[in-house]
Amino acid sequence: MSFAKVNNDILRTLGPAGRIYWAGLILALTMLGFGGYAFYHQVRFGLGVAGYNPPVMWAIYITNFVFWVGIAHSGTLISAVLFLFRARWRTSVARVAEAMTVFAVMTAGLFPIIHLGRPWYFYWLLPYPDQRDLWINFRSPLIWDVFALGTYLTVSVLFLYLGLIPDIAIARDRVQDYRRKLYSILALGWQGTNQQWRHYNALYGFLAALATPLVISVHSVVSWDFATTILPGWHSTIFAPYFVAGAIFSGLAMVITLLIPLRRFYHLEEYITVRHFENLAKLIIVTSLIVTYAYATEYFMAWYSQNEFERSTFLDRAAGQYAPFFWTTVVCNCIVPLALFFKKIRTHLKTLFVISLLINVGMWLERYVIIISSLSHDFNPSVWPAMYQPTWVEVMITAGSMGLFFFLFLIFVKNFPLISMTEIKENTTTVTSPIVMEGSS
Amino acid sequence: MSDASSARLVEAVGRRTFLKVLGSAGSAIGLTACAVPPERIIPYVIPPENEVPGVATRYATVCRECPSGCGMVVRTREGRAVKVEGNPEHPVNRGSLCIRGQASLQGLYNPDRIQEPQERRVTNAASDQSVLAPITWNNAQETLLNKILSLKQQGRSDRIALVTPSITGSLDRLFDSWAKTIGIHHHLRYEPFAYEAIRTANHLNFGQSVLPHYDFSKPRLLISFGADFLETWISNVGYARDFAQMKNARSNHQAKFVHIEPRLSMTAANADEWLSVEPESEILVALAMTHTILRKRIFQDITSVTADAIFEIVREYSPETVTNRTSIPARKIEELATLFSDPSMGPGTSLAIGGGTATSGNNATATQIALNLLNYVSGNIGRTVTFDHKSNETHANTYKDTLNLVEAMQARLIDLLILHDVNPLFTLPEATGFSAGLSKIPFVVSLSSFPDETTARSDLILPVHTPLESWGDHESRGAIRGLMQPVMQSIFNTKHVGDILLEVIRELGEEEAAAFPSRTFDAYLKNEWRNLHEQLTPESDFQTFWADALRRGGFWQKTQSQVVDLNLDSLPTSLALVNEEEDTDNRPFVLMPYPSLHHYDGRGANKPWLQEIADPMMKVAWDSWAELHPDTCKRLNAEEGQLLTIESPHGRLDASILENKHLRPGVIAIPIGQGHTRYGRYAEGRGANPISLLNPIPEVQSGGLRWLSTKVSATPRPLWRKLSKTQENNQQLGRNVAQAISTTDLIGAVPEAHQEHLSMYANHEHPVHRWGMTIDLNACNGCNACIAACNAENNVPVVGPNQVALGRSMSWLRIERYFDQSDSVTDTRFVPMLCQHCDHAPCESVCPVYATYHTPEGLNAQIYNRCVGTRYCSNNCPYKVRQFNWHEAEFPEPLNLQLNPDVTVRSKGVMEKCSFCVQRIQEGKGRAKDEGRQVRDEDVVPACAQTCPAQAIVFGDLNDPHSQASRLSKDPRGYRVFDELNTRPAITYLKKVTQKRT
Repeated sequence: MSFAKVNNDILRTLGPAGRIYWAGLILALTMLGFGGYAFYHQVRFGLGVAGYNPPVMWAIYITNFVFWVGIAHSGTLISAVLFLFRARWRTSVARVAEAMTVFAVMTAGLFPIIHLGRPWYFYWLLPYPDQRDLWINFRSPLIWDVFALGTYLTVSVLFLYLGLIPDIAIARDRVQDYRRKLYSILALGWQGTNQQWRHYNALYGFLAALATPLVISVHSVVSWDFATTILPGWHSTIFAPYFVAGAIFSGLAMVITLLIPLRRFYHLEEYITVRHFENLAKLIIVTSLIVTYAYATEYFMAWYSQNEFERSTFLDRAAGQYAPFFWTTVVCNCIVPLALFFKKIRTHLKTLFVISLLINVGMWLERYVIIISSLSHDFNPSVWPAMYQPTWVEVMITAGSMGLFFFLFLIFVKNFPLISMTEIKENTTTVTSPIVMEGSS
Repeated sequence: MSDASSARLVEAVGRRTFLKVLGSAGSAIGLTACAVPPERIIPYVIPPENEVPGVATRYATVCRECPSGCGMVVRTREGRAVKVEGNPEHPVNRGSLCIRGQASLQGLYNPDRIQEPQERRVTNAASDQSVLAPITWNNAQETLLNKILSLKQQGRSDRIALVTPSITGSLDRLFDSWAKTIGIHHHLRYEPFAYEAIRTANHLNFGQSVLPHYDFSKPRLLISFGADFLETWISNVGYARDFAQMKNARSNHQAKFVHIEPRLSMTAANADEWLSVEPESEILVALAMTHTILRKRIFQDITSVTADAIFEIVREYSPETVTNRTSIPARKIEELATLFSDPSMGPGTSLAIGGGTATSGNNATATQIALNLLNYVSGNIGRTVTFDHKSNETHANTYKDTLNLVEAMQARLIDLLILHDVNPLFTLPEATGFSAGLSKIPFVVSLSSFPDETTARSDLILPVHTPLESWGDHESRGAIRGLMQPVMQSIFNTKHVGDILLEVIRELGEEEAAAFPSRTFDAYLKNEWRNLHEQLTPESDFQTFWADALRRGGFWQKTQSQVVDLNLDSLPTSLALVNEEEDTDNRPFVLMPYPSLHHYDGRGANKPWLQEIADPMMKVAWDSWAELHPDTCKRLNAEEGQLLTIESPHGRLDASILENKHLRPGVIAIPIGQGHTRYGRYAEGRGANPISLLNPIPEVQSGGLRWLSTKVSATPRPLWRKLSKTQENNQQLGRNVAQAISTTDLIGAVPEAHQEHLSMYANHEHPVHRWGMTIDLNACNGCNACIAACNAENNVPVVGPNQVALGRSMSWLRIERYFDQSDSVTDTRFVPMLCQHCDHAPCESVCPVYATYHTPEGLNAQIYNRCVGTRYCSNNCPYKVRQFNWHEAEFPEPLNLQLNPDVTVRSKGVMEKCSFCVQRIQEGKGRAKDEGRQVRDEDVVPACAQTCPAQAIVFGDLNDPHSQASRLSKDPRGYRVFDELNTRPAITYLKKVTQKRT
């Protein structure tokens, strides 16, 4: 594979958009528009336009928040962790995964604001100095969220951008339209000199090392929103590893969901091979088994604790009004991924695509069930409500969040190389160690 | 401009034209200014002398929401009534109020009140269309005067009818003499619940056609045959207070209360034992008990001769013979009888009462006579049943009198009908023909405050003041005279009804004017009280007497009880049971309408608090329903929420089914009070009115309405209408929210040691005060008064049926009602649940912005303007007592005038919850500081504790070892809800005491 071919093939995605692209973009924008209108409606008339039935005080918005944060996880895992482990197959999927991470975090970050009673005061959760000496409560996990998400967004944006710099430079030299100016600025004067490569590699390795603990920490913090409360069904020490595994699980599934169509539309079969998908599928098996183990542990603990509240909550989850959602979760997250043990299935891309979609659904429902069924069956039996039903506002805002995510992703696809050309080139050369810590040598 | 051109201009316009333009332009400018009404935003440039902004003024008056007449103190701020409370000095209620009393403010500020006089104008004579159009007071009174005058001149003043409620005191005397002066024959004092049977029975038995005074505080055994004395029966607040004293677990007085009724009413739920009987068989239980007492010769305080004579009458009613009809085992009846008249305890240590709709069937009077006998043979007459006080209902006309008027109306014998504050169109059975009779009256005048069904059919409406805007007095019982005074200026263009009467009659002629020297009602009232003063305490100065009565809320004295004796002659005939056999094949169910605790006879339905707060037993708000036993439901193949068509020979209605397993299977129970077609936005179109189905023929002996004698058929319809339930789950499921202790376990019980678990965070210091509360579950009867009081004090908004159905009721306090299923006997427990002000509050640690935090006085404070609305605090609250403002709160004018200026009105998007009435704590502390002393218990009383008729809630400083709350929190019955969660609540609940089952 010649370097020129790599450049040609990958930069081809930056060419004029086709009809399907435009249709997708308009669909995403429409969804975003409806979501925006629904949010306006909610701000104007109050949060009551959503379907909350106390004590179900958190519902779909927090479900979406956790879901999108979860999606954001595999990006860092693939690019940073696999990079450190020198898993070179990651190159083909890393860029898409990183972009997905950034956009998922951005989407996720909106939901804690959307769900606020007074969203216009969201900045009160930030520790800024003010003359009234008001300060935030560092004991509250919501504040931890602010920091965790903020850090994660910063690091993942930097990581994505840093990896893009050499590729942007290539694009700058090729593109003739308005983007040339944009790329010139973004490329930061990259010329591919030896010194630049040395700095680049040092920083890339450093950011990878910095991002790796974030994979664990961010979703642990998100899980503590639940685990540090006293609510049966939330209050559990297993939540952090359980949520991290679940996040990676769902993120990997989302990467597959995005990559299979992309690969087809842009004819990247040579770069993103079945082997890549197979590797991702193997990771899915591992995380699925961890998640299944976590489910089992939760039930074991509920039984073993002999705690009335705990047992009742878990019994209600499996047999109460939210049982259909729970069992769908179990099927999607524990049973369906077992099929990937078979090589035939995990290498059959259409099947893999369907499985990845089912896992997305399953992981969304998992959060839905954890949040809503626990809240609706807490300590005080007199307030247990009838079934929670989302309203059009919540449905539209949820759809709008998908619209936002896909809108951002589609814009990215048309403007930035989807696969790191420089890394592909590195991999095709005979140099055994592509990353030499040149700065130190 | 040059001189020439200006000269031309002057010429062109001309002096006259110029002045014209100037004049018209000037007035035009003036008119534009008129178009914007000036806003009066600074009402107190020159404040009234005694009015200090920010300091409340209190006026004593009388509650007029039902005939019992509780004393009331109204708190006003800057000239507006903001809160009503019971008058602690008034002997009827001694400081408490029920939910209806608390909600009386929403009568005053009701947005649907009639705001000015109205007259019917025909808009289309051909199709008989007309509208009520506003007119001036002069014209309105002129119209009324002319009508009366012309009838009087024609000598037909006997064709005028006057219907008032059973008012007492000066206004009643004014009405009476007014009617007599004009020559009105039909003056009806109409009251839907007039207790005809009790009065008739007492007349027959003791020669006293009155309601006796029942003493609930003394009996060792109380048996109620259907009387809902904690809800609406006669004087529910006073009875609830006495009853709480009777079963006070702190004394060694182990009283027992047995309730006998086909349905578990709220009163029945407070009984130690509820016996479900077949409808209308209560009388048999009473007779069988008397039979047993006499047969076992355990009667007290009567001679053997009398005993033998009575035994002859009740001979056939042995417990064995009545078992089949009542479904109560003979052994049970005998046991109750033996307990009821226990010579070892002495006479007069028990009490049997009866009433309510449950015993108002064919044999209503006979039932009361049977109860009189039971009380008589046990020596209760003159002890727990005394005739020393006369209750005010005694001069209410009977239902039969009302029927006579309706007959006269039907026969076109009435030319002018004057109505004052009555709504017979709603409270009379449809089959009485009142509606048709009303159409036959040429002119109907309504002196009313509200646009109810009857008022809407009037030809002339003269809107009158509500009681809180009125002068007046009220005779609660013989020697208790409550004095009413206006607590604020009238809100709308209304007049006092007495003023209207006086103005009209003084215009009638010189003779009449001379007979009524007072020009206004307050002068009339003062005159009446001058006479009273001369009779009662002539030695004192009238001004002092009057000022004292105004300050105290009236004048009351102790009276001597009268000795009564049983008249045996009438017994055999009056006890003869009537058995009216109706077509039971086609109409298999007994219809049981029951007065609603919230709406009474329907008059409460226009008050949003009464609609929004859920029924104490059924926990449904904003609606009416048809209660069916689950078995009946199954038999009808219907389910909860489905519409049921209920049909009697006299009418039909549709109501949503509500399953109630504490109801006899053959009975359909429907609360009275809903189903208004006209009565303002809050009342209209909610459910159905069961009165419309009733049989109009009165009970033979008393002439009362037979509430329980209508048989109905029931057909489910394929339509569903969801009821707004506030509690879906009725079981505790072993979670020990409402705990109980048996009387035997209570002996020698020691206070529970609170095991304080470890905590991550440091303990809070409470250097000066630590506010806390105790709630006695043995006293709490579930009456909801505290919720209304809290709503009023803390500006809690009303959210409507749809939001309530979603569980979004904003009340800071709710009453959880659990049915304990431990054994076959129903054990109902009520738990007032409010913010527990935990020392280790789970809500505090999770709030990201410190909108909720712990004060040095132990309060869990909520800072509304800091709250961003994450609702995290509510998720972490195990008691679930935090309410979120899902929408902007609405207070339609003039309901907004009721808002307490001491409490913030919360905006949408913030959390709120019980503050322990922090504004009252501040006020109390301020008062103590001003007087240079420590804060005492009585300085700080939250609204809920203040109004509680059972005195179940006690608030105080836990740091003060002598405060009542502090002492009670160490009671052996004390426990804290969810103590194992280590939240360390500031509220200690005292366990309910259950009787040992017999």
